Amino acid sequence: MGDASVKIFTAKRIITMNPALPFAEAIAVRGDRILGVGTVEDLAQWGDYELSEQFKDHILMPGFVEAHTHVLAGAVWEFPYVGFYDRADPAGRTWLGCQTIASVVDRLAECERDLSDPDQTLVAWGLDPIFLTGERLVAKHLDQISTTRPIFVFHASGHLATVNSEMMRRSGIDRHTPTPGVAKDVDGEPNGELQEPAAMSLAQDGFAAIGVAMMSPNAKWNYAREARNCGVTTIADLGTTRLTMEGQLEAWRQATDDPNYPARVVVAVGHSDSGSESKDSNPMVSLAVRLRDEEETAKLRFGIVKLVLDGSIQGFTARISWPHYVKPPPGHPGNGLWLIPPEQLADIVSSYHEAGLTVHCHCNGDEAAQVFIDAVETALQRHPRWDHRHTVQHCQLTTTAQYKQMAALGMNANIFSNHIFHWGDQHASTTVGEERAAGMDACATAEREGVKFSVHSDAPITPMGHLHTAWCAVNRLTASGRVLGPEERISVAKALEACTLDAAHQLRLDHDIGSLEAGKLADFAVLEEDPFEVSPEELKDIPVWGTVVGGTSHVAGSK
Amino acid sequence: MEPSEGLMEVSVIGGYLGAGKTTLVNHILRQASERVAVMVNDFGEINIDQALIDSRSENTISLTNGCICCSLVDGFVSALESVMSFRPKPTRLVIEASGVADPGAVAAYGHGPGLALDAVVVVTDAVRLCEQVADPLIGQTVASQIDAADVIVLNKIDLADNLIAAKTELARLNPDALLAYASHAEVNLDLLFGREIVRKSDPTSQVGTFESRSHESTQPIPRAALEALVENLPPEIQRVKGIVRLAEAPHVAMVFQLVGRNWELRALADRKNSPDGNRLVVIGPKGSIPMQWDDALSSGN
Repeated sequence: MGDASVKIFTAKRIITMNPALPFAEAIAVRGDRILGVGTVEDLAQWGDYELSEQFKDHILMPGFVEAHTHVLAGAVWEFPYVGFYDRADPAGRTWLGCQTIASVVDRLAECERDLSDPDQTLVAWGLDPIFLTGERLVAKHLDQISTTRPIFVFHASGHLATVNSEMMRRSGIDRHTPTPGVAKDVDGEPNGELQEPAAMSLAQDGFAAIGVAMMSPNAKWNYAREARNCGVTTIADLGTTRLTMEGQLEAWRQATDDPNYPARVVVAVGHSDSGSESKDSNPMVSLAVRLRDEEETAKLRFGIVKLVLDGSIQGFTARISWPHYVKPPPGHPGNGLWLIPPEQLADIVSSYHEAGLTVHCHCNGDEAAQVFIDAVETALQRHPRWDHRHTVQHCQLTTTAQYKQMAALGMNANIFSNHIFHWGDQHASTTVGEERAAGMDACATAEREGVKFSVHSDAPITPMGHLHTAWCAVNRLTASGRVLGPEERISVAKALEACTLDAAHQLRLDHDIGSLEAGKLADFAVLEEDPFEVSPEELKDIPVWGTVVGGTSHVAGSK
Repeated sequence: MEPSEGLMEVSVIGGYLGAGKTTLVNHILRQASERVAVMVNDFGEINIDQALIDSRSENTISLTNGCICCSLVDGFVSALESVMSFRPKPTRLVIEASGVADPGAVAAYGHGPGLALDAVVVVTDAVRLCEQVADPLIGQTVASQIDAADVIVLNKIDLADNLIAAKTELARLNPDALLAYASHAEVNLDLLFGREIVRKSDPTSQVGTFESRSHESTQPIPRAALEALVENLPPEIQRVKGIVRLAEAPHVAMVFQLVGRNWELRALADRKNSPDGNRLVVIGPKGSIPMQWDDALSSGN
């Protein structure tokens, strides 16, 4: 940006998240950076300026930083949505929830009529049968929509899909198909439900279409549009993009180089757990270092490596310590799954740590968190290094003792606060029980023990929206309306810090973003109401006007 | 007559970190008497004599014996695509699961288009097995892997001080699987792979220290007769495989597989080339197979 002209924005209030100057009324921008924060008179010292009163009735904040999402959040909108809750698409249009099987069928019939090619598979997403009462949606319902076009409906869980009879016919799925996960009715005929990837991948052009969409340029755009619509200016795609795949780096460059692309993106290198057992070579290290050192631009950032150590709590696959799960499903082995052998983790973490990279490790369960924390400790003993910011991702059942150890080691946390609303009731009744559920996603403990933390949506697992995520951390209300673990509630101020400055810190970007102060990038969330003025219960309902990214405005809901 | 003409038989090799999965893969590549494709996690560990390498690209090594080795670095689907497009087409696919993977879940892919699952082979470390199973972090992972096995290779027996303890542990965790002992993962491949057994034409052909007999008939077999056959097999017999037509559904050729004490019947995926009639082969230690082993099948008719 060679533009030397100065633009001063005034606002109803500017919340800077800079403790030295927490509030202001005007902010000056030159090029893509903040020239100063203060009063118009203060800022006039920088010379001629253009005064913009565009935001005079709005609240400006540092653009939200969402440190744990996936580009899949943009890809799913290639397909119609049939979930239970209302959900806004990247263009800002709200798709009403489909609350009965009939409404799912109606929505799909409508979309089917819009497809011109009669052979094209109709793919949809978001189905959540837990919420649909009565009969389960199966192939015969989808057959009402078409008996000649294949249909593939991907469930919200990501573990299931339901297909119609034509899809089964074309894919050779019948009563003799031996693949586990092909659900069959009492007569032994497949009913159209396909469970887990091996079964889903039998449905030709269905499951694969979602993977293809994820690598598409449009997914990258819709991902940033979704961010813009909720005031997020920096999104981290944690390990979803296969950066080793030809053309993916270029596709990110092409999208983010466009001045209209409405977000900064941190693309984390996913540690490919190929299960390699050799100790000395980790090809992902050199890839991550090269990206960080040679490929960064203002809107495309690297330097983070993503590891996945265990599964999910609601899927009973997270590694949690004794006494484990309260009511696991029949046949459950007692504890969750490892995705990396625990004794290998110290070597893997060390390889990235020694190269100066920051490791973000998915640990839903406390047993997984402990293995990661110990691995970081080993890496530090082998190779002392200050300010590494290795981060426990999800961090849902992390204990007080673990937070103390994390603080001592200089680690960060990114806490999955949205779980409290979405699955908190189930966690209390079924997964980890009342006591542990009340202490999960323990933002107040992290704060008390001095661990810098952020909060996240894991979009598309839950919808992106940092005001909603902050609301979860502040109120801890579940879907049924109970307060789950009131002692772990945090203040609005702390939640906003978690959504801005401390999220930037764990992405190693807090020198550039996360607060509004001279020299940082001009990234704002533009809100219709003041988060400090509304009641904490209304935090999630504050309308978002849009964002400013590097001085350029992006209106929510626009193309 | 080939069983499952045109289909690739799938063997999954699982087992915890360090048990010897890659050593077994190397052994398979050296010993294979058919065209085997292996999918492995790490090329660096594949140990093939340079003289045997026909050509190599970034993610594929072709051997002069017709076998190929594909890296899983770009993911399972991508590796499977390159295996399926390889010509001449491999007859067997060996998939090396990662050290923490549930090989049963990997095996679910073995029923995909063009594939027919043969067996799940789990390699265990005779030295560390008991310690691993008792470990609070990994015990359940190791036990679940063993539970998913059709064939267990108890490896490193040359290094183990207490083989009986390891055997007892395996018998507790999975009494039904076929157990094969090995050092350096050197196992008779006929124990691991079903296809070779069926291919033998001589009804009493010798396979190492094992013998085999075959059954051929034309009339569809009642399911109950097949169950009776299994019921009456001597306990030493660990392997039966073949293709049958059931009296209950005579129009579908079914693949019958028995490994250890587990058995299954599934439809032959390649219906176009399905053979008529029944053909079964039994394998067991020399002297263990009674002449009348298949009486139940004839009396059922």
